Amino acid sequence: MSDDYLWDGSGEPDPEVERLERLLATLRSDRPAPELPENLGLRKRSVLFRHSIQLAVAAAAVVLVIAGWFLLRRERPSWEVVSLEGTPRIGSESISASGRLAVGQWLETDSSSRARISIGIIGEVHVDPNTRIRLLKAGADDHRLALARGKMHAAIWAPPRLFSVETPSAVAVDLGCTYTLEVDKAGISFLHVTSGWVAFETEGRESFVPAGALCETRPGIGAGTPYREDASEAFRSALTRLDFEERSADGRLVALDAVLAQAEKEDAFTLWHLLSRVRAGERSRVFDRLQVLVPAPPGVTREGVARLDRQMLDRWWDELGLEDTTWWRLWKGPAPNAK
Amino acid sequence: MTFPLALAQSDNAFLANAARKGDRPAFGLLYSRFARMVHGILLARVPRSEVDDLVQDVFLLALRRLDTLRDPCAFGPWLAMIARNRATDYHRRSRETTELSEDCAAQDPRPAEALAVLSTIQKLPEAYRETLVLRLVEGMSGPEIAERTGLTPASVRVNLHRGMKLLREKLEGREAS
Repeated sequence: MSDDYLWDGSGEPDPEVERLERLLATLRSDRPAPELPENLGLRKRSVLFRHSIQLAVAAAAVVLVIAGWFLLRRERPSWEVVSLEGTPRIGSESISASGRLAVGQWLETDSSSRARISIGIIGEVHVDPNTRIRLLKAGADDHRLALARGKMHAAIWAPPRLFSVETPSAVAVDLGCTYTLEVDKAGISFLHVTSGWVAFETEGRESFVPAGALCETRPGIGAGTPYREDASEAFRSALTRLDFEERSADGRLVALDAVLAQAEKEDAFTLWHLLSRVRAGERSRVFDRLQVLVPAPPGVTREGVARLDRQMLDRWWDELGLEDTTWWRLWKGPAPNAK
Repeated sequence: MTFPLALAQSDNAFLANAARKGDRPAFGLLYSRFARMVHGILLARVPRSEVDDLVQDVFLLALRRLDTLRDPCAFGPWLAMIARNRATDYHRRSRETTELSEDCAAQDPRPAEALAVLSTIQKLPEAYRETLVLRLVEGMSGPEIAERTGLTPASVRVNLHRGMKLLREKLEGREAS
């Protein structure tokens, strides 16, 4: 059954949706608009002009200063920062309650301070202690931070790809979600997604990280392969060696075989990522193991996967029981043809 | 099934500008237009017994802050943000004061099954529960949700689809147990 009825009430009614509509309509509110108090604190125009030319001149000067200030602000967009604990700093200024983080400025917390950044109207970021973060862009279609070190928690309710965070080794692109991102002293980034999806991107390499999964990136190497948060230690350890440590062909094969041996059905999305990451000579091993865990759908062939046919890879992903590939292709454009 | 036609963003801009200048009837129109959205956003996040009062808080807060609204065409998303922030504040303050009474649900005259389904929705991921509450409780269509909240229609559609799928699974699991 299509979801047209769920979307706009057209098409064949879905009995379950209809039942829930009737049931839940009882929870609507019928309370009228609030009585508005007389004094709402709305700003009123000054009447000082009537009384004194001198005051008028002074007021005009103030207006000019304020106008200039607004012009400067317009040229340099900023986001509100609220201190949640201690006294975070924006640039060289400490903020005890709230302040504005302008494009190009750094927000820094020490060991006893935390802050919240309002990301325009699309979400917010909580900044943990000992964190250094910079506002790079605050445009309508590009909200971008740079996390140099420390930890941040993002909750974004905007359409996917409007918000991203640069780290020393990759860019975390929001696909509509909540997640935690941490950068350690060595510049290694850890991404933990708690709802929705995040894409971790470096040049030519992407990891799609679903809720309940983690991904690590390292400077000079880029995004590793995502894995579920409750994966076994042996599986994680082997994956780290494969992603970041082993360079020799023999060493890589040992690590890869350990990953494949430890993989369970829930790790299929990790193996799917590996298909396009491992070397050509290693790919058939991953194919065989993934085939056991989640059989390839009809039409997806060993030869096609060996040449990284994008449509075949997408079709196999759709068998994994996660969201289908249209979920991110929607934001990234149509799938390219065979490679 | 039919839904009320979505009103143009330019109407909201006009009303917001008028309200900003102190035109209270204009604000009343905005209230009637956006009350369901604010109610739904709050209902997805806070206990039902608190929602009606918080809805009024949000509108009064918005009226006081109207002069900070930079783009009147973005009134809906701006108001939605205030509602979400108000829900966050509610939880922060309730942690600082007292735990919610477990008796609230027992005292609620609404159908127990409706409250149970709402409770299930409130446990879904945030993006889904808000969209589902706006659709199933407030009776807003997908295009209407997108127009009011500022989300793209594609995003709302995906959230509805995924949220409904999850909700079905949770409800089936509940019945099975």
